[in-house]
Amino acid sequence: MFALAVMNGLVIGVIYALAALGVSLVVGIMNVVNFAHGELYILAGYFSYLFAGALGVNFVAAMIVAVLLVFLFGLFVEWVLIRPTYGNDMYSLILTFILSIVLQNAYLLIFGPYPNKPPGWVGGATNVFGLFYYGNQRLAALAAASVVIALLFVVIKKTWFGRIIRATSQDREMAELNGVNTTRLNMLSFGLGCALAAAAGVILAPVFPVTPTAGLPVALTAFVVVVLGGMGSLWGCVLGGLILGLVENLGAAFISTGYKHLFNFIILILVLLIRPAGLFGRREA
Amino acid sequence: MTDKRFYQVLVPAVVLFGFLPFGLGSYHLHVVIVSLFYLMMASSWNLLAGYTGQVSFAHAAFAGIGAYTSGILAVRFGLNPWIGVVVGTMLAALLGLAVGVLCLRMGGIYLSLTTLGFSEILRIIITNEYEVTRGTMGLQVPGLFAEYSKVGYFYVMLGAAVLTLIIIYRLIHSNIGLNFRAVQNDERAAASLGVDVVRVRVLAFTVSSALAGMAGGLYGHYLLLITPEIPSLDQQFLVLSMTVIGGMGSFPGPIIGAFSLEILSEYIRAYGEYHVLVFGLIALVAARFAPNGLMGLAKDRLVRRRAPAKTVAAAAKS
Repeated sequence: MFALAVMNGLVIGVIYALAALGVSLVVGIMNVVNFAHGELYILAGYFSYLFAGALGVNFVAAMIVAVLLVFLFGLFVEWVLIRPTYGNDMYSLILTFILSIVLQNAYLLIFGPYPNKPPGWVGGATNVFGLFYYGNQRLAALAAASVVIALLFVVIKKTWFGRIIRATSQDREMAELNGVNTTRLNMLSFGLGCALAAAAGVILAPVFPVTPTAGLPVALTAFVVVVLGGMGSLWGCVLGGLILGLVENLGAAFISTGYKHLFNFIILILVLLIRPAGLFGRREA
Repeated sequence: MTDKRFYQVLVPAVVLFGFLPFGLGSYHLHVVIVSLFYLMMASSWNLLAGYTGQVSFAHAAFAGIGAYTSGILAVRFGLNPWIGVVVGTMLAALLGLAVGVLCLRMGGIYLSLTTLGFSEILRIIITNEYEVTRGTMGLQVPGLFAEYSKVGYFYVMLGAAVLTLIIIYRLIHSNIGLNFRAVQNDERAAASLGVDVVRVRVLAFTVSSALAGMAGGLYGHYLLLITPEIPSLDQQFLVLSMTVIGGMGSFPGPIIGAFSLEILSEYIRAYGEYHVLVFGLIALVAARFAPNGLMGLAKDRLVRRRAPAKTVAAAAKS
C-alpha cells in the first residue's frame, strides 16, 4: 500500500510539476497569475478526446494538435485580455477569473457534466520491482511528462530563446534596453504557459477523465506548488510538484480520501507561516 | 462627497425604498431582497478590491461561513437566529483576520491564491461533513421571525444594507480610508510616509469579510435553506461581476451593479442553462472594454459634455 501510494504520488506529482511550470513561467516573466490555467488543461483534454476518441485520429497526432490549439488560444487570450492590463496585476486576475467561469460553463453546454476521456495509449500492466502491478498507461504518462519537463529545461537553460526568458524575468527593463521585444515575449510566454497546462491535460486525460469543473483542483494545486517552490523558480516547481503529489496520495491512502485536497491547503498555510518566499524563492517576490 | 451630502442622498433614498413593499408583489419583493443581499456583498467586496487593490476570491465563502454558522447553531443548539447572525459575523471576521495576517505580508497575489484555496476547502468540508451541514441537500434553518413575513425580511435586509453602506462610507472617508488609497496608489511611497501597509490591508480584509458574513447570515435565514450554492465560486463570480460592471473603486458603482445585474439575471434565467454563460460573456466584455464600469462610462459622458470644445481641441493638438 505504501509503495503503491508513492508510485501514484510520483505520477501525479510530475503532472502537477508540469502544470505548475506553466504558471511559474508566466509569473516570472509577466507577473500575471492566470486563473484560467485549469480550464486550459481541461480544454486540451477535451480536444484530445474529440480528435482521438470521436474522430479516430492517431493519439500522438491528436495530442500534438490539442496542445498546439491551446497554445494558439493562449496567444489570443494574451492579445485580447491580458495586454491591456499591463502594469495592473489585479485586473488580469479579475479577467482570467471571469474567463475561467465562462470556459467552465461553455464546456458544460458542449460536453455535458459527464466525464469524458480519450482512448488510452497502451494497455496492460507491469510488475514494478516485484512489489505490485501498475497500469502501463500511468507509467507512460509518467515517462511522457518527464520528457516534456526535460525538454522545457533544455529550452530554457540552453537556447537563445531561453536566455531571453531568463533575462526578462530577472530584470525586465534591462532586457528591454538590450533589444528584447518584451511585448512579443509576453505573448509567446503566455502561450507557452498555456501549452504546458495543455501538455499536462493531454497526458493525464486518459487516466483521469475530464469534466467541466475538474480544472479547478489542478489549477489550485499548481498555484500551491508555485508558492511552495517560490514564485518564478522552475526547479521549485519540479520539487514542489513531487512533494505535493506524494503528500496528497499518502494522505489519501492513510488518512482520508475525501479530504485529499485539504492537505494541499495545509501545506500552503505552513509555507506562508514558515517560509513565505518558498523553497527557492527570491526574497522580494 | 461630504458627510452632509452623503446623508442628504441616503436618507431620502432609504425612505423612498421603505415604501416599496406597498407597491410590489411577492415576486418583485423577493427580487429586491436578493438585490439588497448582493448590494451588501458587492459593496463590501469593493471596499477591499476597489479601495485597497486586493482581490479576494473568498467573499462568497465568508458569506457561507456566516450562513452556516448561524444555521448550524440554530438547528443543533436552538440558538436564536439573531444571535446566530452576530456569531456568524464575528467568526467571518476572525477567519478573515487569520487569512489576512497569514498572506498579506507577501502581497496581493498571495491573498488571491489563498482565498481561492480557502473557498474550495470550505466547499469540500461542507460536502464531506454532510451529517452536520446536510451537504448538497441543503440545511433547513428557522427564519428570523416566528411568522414568515416577506415585508419583515425586506426591512431587515434594508436596515442591514444601510448599516453596511454607512460603515463602508465612514471607513473610506476617515484617515484609515486615506491610507487605503495611499497603499493602492503607491505602496512604497505610503510605507515611507509611515503607513503600516500590512495592517491597513489586513484591516480592510477583516472588515470586508465580516460584512460578507453578516450578509450571508441574514440571507440564509431568509432563504430558510442553506446550500453550498451560497459559498460557491459561481456566487463569488456574480459578486465580482456586479462590482466590476457597476464600477470598481466608486461608492455607488457596486450598488448600481448589484441591482442592474440581479434584475438582468432574472430576465436571462429564462434561457435556463445558458444563463451563467451569457452572464459571463457580458462580464468579460464589460471588464475588458469598460474597466471603470457603468460609473466610469457615466463620468466620461459628463466630462465630455461639460467641456467638449476644450477636449476636442486638446485631442487635435496632441
